[in-house]
Amino acid sequence: MKSLKKFLFVLTVALVSMVSMAVSCEKPEPEPDPIVVKDYNFDLYVCAVKHGGMSQNKNGTYVRSVTDLSAEAPMIDFTGKGIDITQDYTLESITKGAYYYQVPQKATGGFVKFHIERNAAGIEFIVEDAEVPFKDNVYSARKYTHAWIDGGKTLVVIGTKDKATKIIWSKLNESDMQIQSEGTFDIAMPEGFNAFSTTGLLTYRQSDGKLYYFYLVKPASGQSEAATSVTYIAIINPATMAIESTTAVPTDIMEETAGSAYGELMQSMIMYDEQDNLYVAGLKTVDGKEMGILRRIKKGEKTFDSAWNGFPDPEGKLLTIQYLGGGKALCYSRDEALGTKIDSKSHFYSIIDLASCTRERVKYNGADLPYCGGRFSQRSVVVNGKAYIGIGGEVEEAGVEQPNPAIYIYDCKTGAVEKGAELSKGFCFDIIRAMDVLE
Amino acid sequence: MNIPHRLIAVAAALLSWLPLSAQDTVGVWGMLKDSLVLESATVSAKTKAQRLREGTFAVSAINISQQAATLQSLSRAVDRTSGIRIREEGGVGSDFDLTINGLSGNSIRYFIDGMPLDAKGSGLTLANLPVNLIERVDIYKGVIPASLGSDALGGAINIITKREKNNYLDFSYGLGSFHTHKVDLSASVTGRRSGLIFKPVISVGYAKNDYIMHDVKVRNAEHTAFILTDLPRFHDAYLSHFAQMEIGVADRKWADALFVAASFSKTDKEIQTGATQSHVIGMAERKTNSFSVSARYEKQDLIVEGLRASLSASHTWDHSQTIDTTYRRYYWDGTYIDGSYSEIRRRGKTLRHYYRPMTIVRGNLGYRIASGHELSLNYQLNSIGNRQEDDVDTDFVPGNDRLAKHVLCLSYDQSLLDGRMDNTFFVKDYINHLEVGQSELPGTTGSSKVEPTSTRSYLGGGLGSRYTFSQRISVKGSFEHSVRLPVSREVLGNGATVYPNLALEPEISNNVNLGLFGTFDLGDGHAISYEGGGFIRLVDNYIQATMSETDGMMQYVNVAAVHVMGVEAEVRYDWAGRLHAAVNASYDDSRDRRKYTQSGDISVTYLNRTPNRPWTWCNAEVSYTFNNVIIPGSRLRLMMDHQWVHWFYLTWEAYGYPGSKSRVPTQNITGASLLYSWHGSRYNISLECSNLFDTLAFDNYMLQKPGRAFYLKFRLFL
Repeated sequence: MKSLKKFLFVLTVALVSMVSMAVSCEKPEPEPDPIVVKDYNFDLYVCAVKHGGMSQNKNGTYVRSVTDLSAEAPMIDFTGKGIDITQDYTLESITKGAYYYQVPQKATGGFVKFHIERNAAGIEFIVEDAEVPFKDNVYSARKYTHAWIDGGKTLVVIGTKDKATKIIWSKLNESDMQIQSEGTFDIAMPEGFNAFSTTGLLTYRQSDGKLYYFYLVKPASGQSEAATSVTYIAIINPATMAIESTTAVPTDIMEETAGSAYGELMQSMIMYDEQDNLYVAGLKTVDGKEMGILRRIKKGEKTFDSAWNGFPDPEGKLLTIQYLGGGKALCYSRDEALGTKIDSKSHFYSIIDLASCTRERVKYNGADLPYCGGRFSQRSVVVNGKAYIGIGGEVEEAGVEQPNPAIYIYDCKTGAVEKGAELSKGFCFDIIRAMDVLE
Repeated sequence: MNIPHRLIAVAAALLSWLPLSAQDTVGVWGMLKDSLVLESATVSAKTKAQRLREGTFAVSAINISQQAATLQSLSRAVDRTSGIRIREEGGVGSDFDLTINGLSGNSIRYFIDGMPLDAKGSGLTLANLPVNLIERVDIYKGVIPASLGSDALGGAINIITKREKNNYLDFSYGLGSFHTHKVDLSASVTGRRSGLIFKPVISVGYAKNDYIMHDVKVRNAEHTAFILTDLPRFHDAYLSHFAQMEIGVADRKWADALFVAASFSKTDKEIQTGATQSHVIGMAERKTNSFSVSARYEKQDLIVEGLRASLSASHTWDHSQTIDTTYRRYYWDGTYIDGSYSEIRRRGKTLRHYYRPMTIVRGNLGYRIASGHELSLNYQLNSIGNRQEDDVDTDFVPGNDRLAKHVLCLSYDQSLLDGRMDNTFFVKDYINHLEVGQSELPGTTGSSKVEPTSTRSYLGGGLGSRYTFSQRISVKGSFEHSVRLPVSREVLGNGATVYPNLALEPEISNNVNLGLFGTFDLGDGHAISYEGGGFIRLVDNYIQATMSETDGMMQYVNVAAVHVMGVEAEVRYDWAGRLHAAVNASYDDSRDRRKYTQSGDISVTYLNRTPNRPWTWCNAEVSYTFNNVIIPGSRLRLMMDHQWVHWFYLTWEAYGYPGSKSRVPTQNITGASLLYSWHGSRYNISLECSNLFDTLAFDNYMLQKPGRAFYLKFRLFL
């Protein structure tokens, strides 16, 4: 009986230990970063295991909102910090000012508007400002393109339905996301084609007050070979959403625009210069390979300038473009020879001189910034005369200490590059967004 | 075998602790009855229990026949066992995922009398198998006996049907909350002249599953905003049919048993949600129809003394349909708007047919070399086709795939030291043959990466040992280097919510179990028994379900390495067969062992706890039995049970502020039941209340389970 009691005691202790171990495994909360108040924050998105973007990541998406990306800023860490948006929101989003606007991952059946705040302890959290059900037109997460009109008070969203055979549009109030009006474009499918691009690319041009909608026609929905597509430009009256003209783009100019399946929810493919010339990143097949191309529609014109290509002799696809001012643009492109997978470290940053149509890789201390992984990434943002460029981790080599992912800051006026903040290792670094701070 | 009556009574009482029972084959009433009336019968019954308990493998056995009067489904009984966790997506007939010692669903193989359960049709599961048909459920953890001829990695569940030789009729009808009805009938009749044995089984179940969903979003009257409200599920009805007739002979010179059988199963299931409840579905359905024929032959001392043979074969015609033919976008109040994509696949409309013919052949030859030494050879062929057609999707290219698995196993069992020590050694050869015909979505399914026809072979093996010091303490350990070939659902998809992955590699694992068990007889009818153990699973190419964020579809992918280890313990107390109490606890520790990401960086998830899986849970149960209540000879049993599951994160635990992370909340579910039985258990009536306190319960993220429910069941056993 004595041995039994001893045994029962040991067994009870073991069971209680198991349970208490289970309930006490929460780790202490990490120390918050110091709070610095500025006019804008940088929201940085990282993913675990694989690069995110366009549904490629199922392993976790985290966002941190920081005030400073300079070298003096503390290491940007995600261990116990940042917002885990994996289940609720997509990292692809429309942004303006301090707000995000999107059809969320959580699939409630509508649009949401939200912003990121920090509490007194510096912990970021998401505040939903509006959630509005779809009315007649239904959009899927990530599958829409957008433009702002009415001085930013109205959001225009375009998508497709019925296996991309019909193009739909909706207008929403910026403030409360209420749907103002909706419709379906009456665009005829050219003979020999059976589907439109999933989203196309939409932009509003200030100088003529028109919406430019770049869409593709394809032999079948989901068909991904650029050579089989034809790009069209539709000019739309933003007040009535009436299509004023549609023009086919000759395939020797451009076969497809970039981002035809997901708009500019993540990557920037359209930019304007000071003269309101409109630039569009696209694709063209060269020797059987899809290569990047940068085309321009001059102010006052409605079709591409066939004589101008801002991205000659491409190494691969042109993925993002951002205007830096002074006739220069930052581009993110891929060297096909170094790998074409989403995570291949074959992506790099260059500065394009739009006047001479030449480009040069972004350098720091005389050396090119390293190649990065992330086909669907937007790790650069231009704000207040500076471009903040994110560089991911480098390929690990046994026994060799690798540098942390870091921000490099390009001065748009001087062209000088300085190293900024660093991120903790191991994550796939995907987005930097500059967001206004709410008063 | 000389077994004292007192020990028999204590063992019977202990082993009879039914719902949580780990090692029981005989229920308390049956055992006590046997022990008092016929000692030889008691010894025989006890031997079944002891064979499992004192075997070399980590195994639990649940007596179902004694629970048939109260039990709604097998899955509910299995879920209360230590080391086992069942995650259900909803109510009756919902998809579920079963974990044994940290390895989940498809790492687990299901058998019925040693034959893969799939042979009865893809619609038949633990959740809808007629309870009346079942004698017991054996749960093998980690290391699988050679006799099952299986490529299971995490464990196997072998459902043992009744082998009663006397004529009987077992009928039950149950009805419960959410418009639930279930009728089960099984019988055995032996022809007087011919000696032919007829074993019919009929089972019909229906549930509307219209339980209340709390705090779901619907549009306001103007359709300008969402409001939170509570509403019943509206498109989750489930109807299942199963019928079987087995005809044969037993105890002949040339056959201990020879039976042929034909069975039919049919399930119709409305689909209510996608991967989470925010994705509401209002029209899509899934249907399965299966017809199978089978034969089995068993003979001891075949040709020569000591040679035993067990042969089975079956062929199944399985046809499933996924009806996803509307572009509607539903809300929880049943309203909808016309959407852009289909409800399940979020692509074009489909009415997909899956024809999956399955052939299973199993042969087991055992030869007793000498007393306590046996050699056995087991072979199993499992061949399944997958022909797909679509009535609606004009772009769909019909495919015809075939997956064949051969598992050959040689084992040697020895019993030493007068039965105090048992050892088992075995080797297995796994052969996988795949023919790929489908070409849809090559980027997603990998159809462009695999050869149209391929055959590959893998070798495995293991050993097990048990030593008994005394009744109070025995130890056992087992090891297996196992290979788990992907099942058809993982490779070929399910036609509704799971994409195929034709490039999926087999899982390979080293499994280790160590266990300790014993019984203390405290005198005066008091007894305590215990069982504890630890396990390690070192899995490479772990097959894990992932969810596509884009379209809510699942797909199984290989994960480089997952190591799972854990412990479990169970203590049972009994007093005189009247008062029973038990508690068990399980802890799994599963870590990601992928050091590098695809781009060559060290992964931040390296050594992190695997997300989206429960890792600690407990079950507790107490019951008391009153005798001679109102009617002489009657029994009234009152029982309460409780299950606690620790919350867990949906994503990697280390990253993101804890308050921002999605998590599956802690579950505290209490149930209560009473069973009144009279006329020698010929008549039984039970009333059960599950989720007594109507707590919000989730096994999966944002997939709410039913609240409080009542279930009344009447059973007649003649």
